[in-house]
Amino acid sequence: MIRRPSIGLLGRIVLILAFLLTTEFVANTLIFERVSEFALQDDDAHRLAEYLAVAHRVMDRTPQAGRETVARELSSARLEVRWSRGIDTQSTNFRLNDLRAQMLAFEPRLLAAKLRLHLMPLRQGGDIGGSLELTDHSTLIFRSSHQEGFWSLTFGRIVALALPMLALALVGGLMIRATLRPLRVLMNATGKVGGRDAAPVPEQGPAEVRDLIRNFNAMQLRINRLIATRTQALAAVGHDLRTPLTRMELRLDSADIDADMREAIRHDMGEMGDLLRSLQIYLGGEGQTVPAEKLDLAVMASTIIDAARDAGQDAFYDGPSSLEIWGRAVSIRRAIANLVENALHYGGNVRLAIRQEEGETLVCVDDDGPGIPADKMEAVLQPFVRLDEGRARNTRGMGLGLAIVHNAIRQEGGLLTLANRPEGGLRATIRLPRQPA
Amino acid sequence: MTAQTIILVEDDPGLRTLIARLLQENGFPVRTAATAPEMWIALENGPAASLIILDIMLPGTNGLDLCRQIRRTSDIPIIFISAKGGDEDRILGLELGADDFLAKPFQPRELVARARAILRRGPMTDHAAPKTRNEVQFDGWTVFFARRELRSPSGAVVDLTGAEFDLLGTFISQPQRVIGRERLIELSRTRLGDSSDRSIDVLVSRLRRKLTAAGAEPPIMTVRGVGYMFSAAVSPA
Repeated sequence: MIRRPSIGLLGRIVLILAFLLTTEFVANTLIFERVSEFALQDDDAHRLAEYLAVAHRVMDRTPQAGRETVARELSSARLEVRWSRGIDTQSTNFRLNDLRAQMLAFEPRLLAAKLRLHLMPLRQGGDIGGSLELTDHSTLIFRSSHQEGFWSLTFGRIVALALPMLALALVGGLMIRATLRPLRVLMNATGKVGGRDAAPVPEQGPAEVRDLIRNFNAMQLRINRLIATRTQALAAVGHDLRTPLTRMELRLDSADIDADMREAIRHDMGEMGDLLRSLQIYLGGEGQTVPAEKLDLAVMASTIIDAARDAGQDAFYDGPSSLEIWGRAVSIRRAIANLVENALHYGGNVRLAIRQEEGETLVCVDDDGPGIPADKMEAVLQPFVRLDEGRARNTRGMGLGLAIVHNAIRQEGGLLTLANRPEGGLRATIRLPRQPA
Repeated sequence: MTAQTIILVEDDPGLRTLIARLLQENGFPVRTAATAPEMWIALENGPAASLIILDIMLPGTNGLDLCRQIRRTSDIPIIFISAKGGDEDRILGLELGADDFLAKPFQPRELVARARAILRRGPMTDHAAPKTRNEVQFDGWTVFFARRELRSPSGAVVDLTGAEFDLLGTFISQPQRVIGRERLIELSRTRLGDSSDRSIDVLVSRLRRKLTAAGAEPPIMTVRGVGYMFSAAVSPA
């Protein structure tokens, strides 16, 4: 593929940050420009100016002792007036220059009274506040409050301040996400290494990521080769041992040995045959190449149970006499048969129940055996794991039984769960999604 | 009765010798072949063969292709032996017209028993004729003889044991006729590997239960004191 030069991950993130900071600077500048240009409606400005001029005159004539009371009386719901002995020290972050000019035009006397106007900080309500100086250098502080016009001003300011920030955060997020996208693709691919749908990851993105992806692809290739070699080797064992084993069966037939010995050897060879069979089924993914078809799950299960009963086993079936579902008959039949076989082997009995739940069909295989230690529940689903490793190796097979079931059911879009029943024994449950039949 | 000649096609020399000896010891003259060309020679030379035992994995032409070629000209019974035990190979083999399928490793007496059964069955299948008709239908149900498969009226695969399938085959070959219980027992005994002592009545009731699945009355009626009757009309699919 064509390799475009790349500025690297670091370069990209630096560029993104620079872009964001620049944009924010520009946006802020624009917003503060807007604030200083802020102007009230002419009417409002006129009224406020007139009122302030009157308040200034009244306060100026009132002796200092009575000023606080008069200030209270001057206050209305819309304008709060206070008197302070000192000089106004309010910080004036947001000067309302246009509004001030408007008001001074109406009432030039306010100029002499050193009118100061500013927007209150948001935490104090975001109203318009200000002060006038009285002749004795004390201060008349006013604050217009709860006025609809001022409210909308406040709201507008929040939006004006927050919107660019939100937009910038969004744009920044999108840009960083785009930069990291190849990494995410890689991350998803790592989860599939060695799986059925593992595929090489396309080399794209910043230089570092491209290197990473190239190395990852090489690693994945090695892993796939290893798995394939291992599978081939095991399959060859499973396949190639069958012919010599058949020869042994035939030779045993005409060998000059006593009957007990012959039976013992035949039994051992039968076990070897079973091992090979389970190995082949596990590796071959039996029945997975055939498409799903409609099958009668209830008849399938009861046929398996009938066969166990005919062999003199303690086996019961509890469920409908017919239940048609979609699936691969070979896989599902194998899965149920393996679970029944396990139950009979470890528990000595089996009760198979089929139930319909919302959107799912459940096949429960119960036994009255010892169950599985809680810490082994996960492990038993793995291939080549046997619970009785340390004890008598009386299990036929290679510990592939449950792994085969697990794979087969997953292939059907279902789930195999194992649980010890409170009343003792194990319950293996196959959950199959119910497709429209 | 003249000895029935068997042709054995197996590429492993040891196994070829051993199987040949086994069959000869059981009274069958054997001609062996290691490859497809050798088989055609073996087929043409000497007395007419009655059965071919065919390994699937052969150098060059494999057993499945060979089976296809044989079927173009001949109805000679074929038993597959295969190192692959998978159901897919078995089904494919049977669909290609093989008569039986045996996975390695097998027990010697099993091979002999199956060979005997097929040779015995040979002339019988002709007038009972389920094999020549590949598919039949009754009451919406379909029976595929080559795959030994039963499908419900809605098209679902309905599992049958070997004995149940054979019983169904017997019923289908004689529809709307009463079949005596003794006759059914006799037929079920001749089936291979059917060593369990379950009674024919259990077998019939299981088959009946499976045929009830569609909700309708099962087409197998009990004729008290005599036997059973398959009441549905059978038509080729």
